[in-house]
Amino acid sequence: MRRWRPHAEQVVTVVTKPQAAPLRRLPGVEGIWVFVAADMAMFAILFVSFMQGRLAEPALFEASRQTLDVNFGGINTLILLTSSWLVALGVVAVRQGRAERLPALLAAALACGLAFMVSKAIEYGGKLAAGITMLTNDFYMFYFTLTGIHLFHVTAGNVVLVVLWVKARNGAFTQDNCVTLECGATYWHMVDLLWIMLFPLLYLLR
Amino acid sequence: MRVEPVAVDYSMWKLLAWTGPVFFIGFFCMWGLLADNFPPMAANTSPQDMWQHYKDLRIPIMVGMSVCMVLGSCYMAFGAAVSRVMRRIEGPEGMLSNLEMMGATITYCPIVVACGIWLVTAMQIDVLSPDMVQTAYYVAWMIIDLAYMVTSWQIIAAAVVFLRDKREKKLVPSWVSWWGFVTVASFFPVSLIPFFKTGPFAFNGLFNFWVAFPTWYVWIVSMSFFIIKAVRRIEIEDGAAQHADSAVHGHAPMAAAR
Amino acid sequence: MTTRFGGLHTIWLILMVATCATTWWLSKDSVSAQVGTVAIVLIAAFKIRFVLLHFMELRHAPTPWRLIFEAWVLIATAAILGFYLQTPTAG
Repeated sequence: MRRWRPHAEQVVTVVTKPQAAPLRRLPGVEGIWVFVAADMAMFAILFVSFMQGRLAEPALFEASRQTLDVNFGGINTLILLTSSWLVALGVVAVRQGRAERLPALLAAALACGLAFMVSKAIEYGGKLAAGITMLTNDFYMFYFTLTGIHLFHVTAGNVVLVVLWVKARNGAFTQDNCVTLECGATYWHMVDLLWIMLFPLLYLLR
Repeated sequence: MRVEPVAVDYSMWKLLAWTGPVFFIGFFCMWGLLADNFPPMAANTSPQDMWQHYKDLRIPIMVGMSVCMVLGSCYMAFGAAVSRVMRRIEGPEGMLSNLEMMGATITYCPIVVACGIWLVTAMQIDVLSPDMVQTAYYVAWMIIDLAYMVTSWQIIAAAVVFLRDKREKKLVPSWVSWWGFVTVASFFPVSLIPFFKTGPFAFNGLFNFWVAFPTWYVWIVSMSFFIIKAVRRIEIEDGAAQHADSAVHGHAPMAAAR
Repeated sequence: MTTRFGGLHTIWLILMVATCATTWWLSKDSVSAQVGTVAIVLIAAFKIRFVLLHFMELRHAPTPWRLIFEAWVLIATAAILGFYLQTPTAG
């Protein structure tokens, strides 16, 4: 694993020149990818856990699932995908020497992240008002804990976006110096892709 | 009288670094294998079955827990060795090496308390009612698990400092530090254990036992490995620095004196 | 614009349309439960792969790293569909 590091560092400067041949490299530092891979593995285990629970009580899971509002899940997916896309655009803009566009893109991505949290709060509020909690049954246990753990990731991601936004406004990121930005972007994309599977799992399996 | 710089006691440092493996091997064998905690008795076991479990395994649990109460302290000693390696990176004014040492030390507290409760439950099994056995069993689990944030501080402090290491080849590689962040992330769902007796978030569940603890264990094992190597590397670095120093000033090299 | 951003706009558009299709069409009763569900999970897998390859730039990553994440998508999807197809339909 260590062997790739000097290689990756060499490439950072090469890639920024548009004409250079695209060499194989990971965005950011390798460590963030270790984190992302491990985090995704944990979510995969939780996905399987959920499917096991569903296998044990299919009727209960189906009846409970129908009480969820797919509009919330669908709109939240659109929000996160858009946020992820905005961050990806920001990374490309910086690499192309147009870092002045980055703060606006990050601010828009952050707005999406906050919108996701607001939407989740409304959704949770509705369930709690109806007397449904994570202790109601096994389906809601998974619903609240899996979306809760994911929401925790979203919250952390919003903090990351705030930090990146402040740095970007101070002109911290340039063609030759955007490793931190790439690390934050990689994490945020992971938060997005986990939701892409979590949403159908909880809301759409019939 | 001229004040000589205090010599670094590398042998003691190495000895303390080796308490890491003593901890993880000892705990694995005595808590896990001998006291039959792989898997741990499930949270939804009936009081009567819990009582029977302690009755049947009275002696192994008593031996395992009393040894763990002693060996658990090695986590503190290991924390001191890690802390000193961290200080070489962040300097004597750094706070994170202190935080790491306190985190490691306080991590021993829930371990010793929980193992003590399990020990007494086994000791006193003939005078305890099944309900009391179940309560004692839960008390110990809640204490040992929900203290995770103390260990998280330890892990975060170590990760931050080792990532800041400017050496071309870091004393502790980056992936270990990032694995530390993974460990901390895997700890948070442990907060759910009071609420579930079945499923992935029970204290014996797929996530809160079989993911969270092995993740931490991988961190301890890899950190021990690289700390033992780091002490050796620091000794060589210091030797080379002294050698260069004495060559400049015309003294006999310290390394030769040893 | 599309070439300047390496096709990111197109990727985003595809992801949005795919999300709308799964949420407001394939999940409805007009599509049979099993066909709809399998399609939804497969579309989710492809969406994840799009995010991995294009947003996270794994298509330019060293092959071992790319394989790890491609394998994650494959294993997670196969496990979910495997369990799903074993579960008796409730409705």
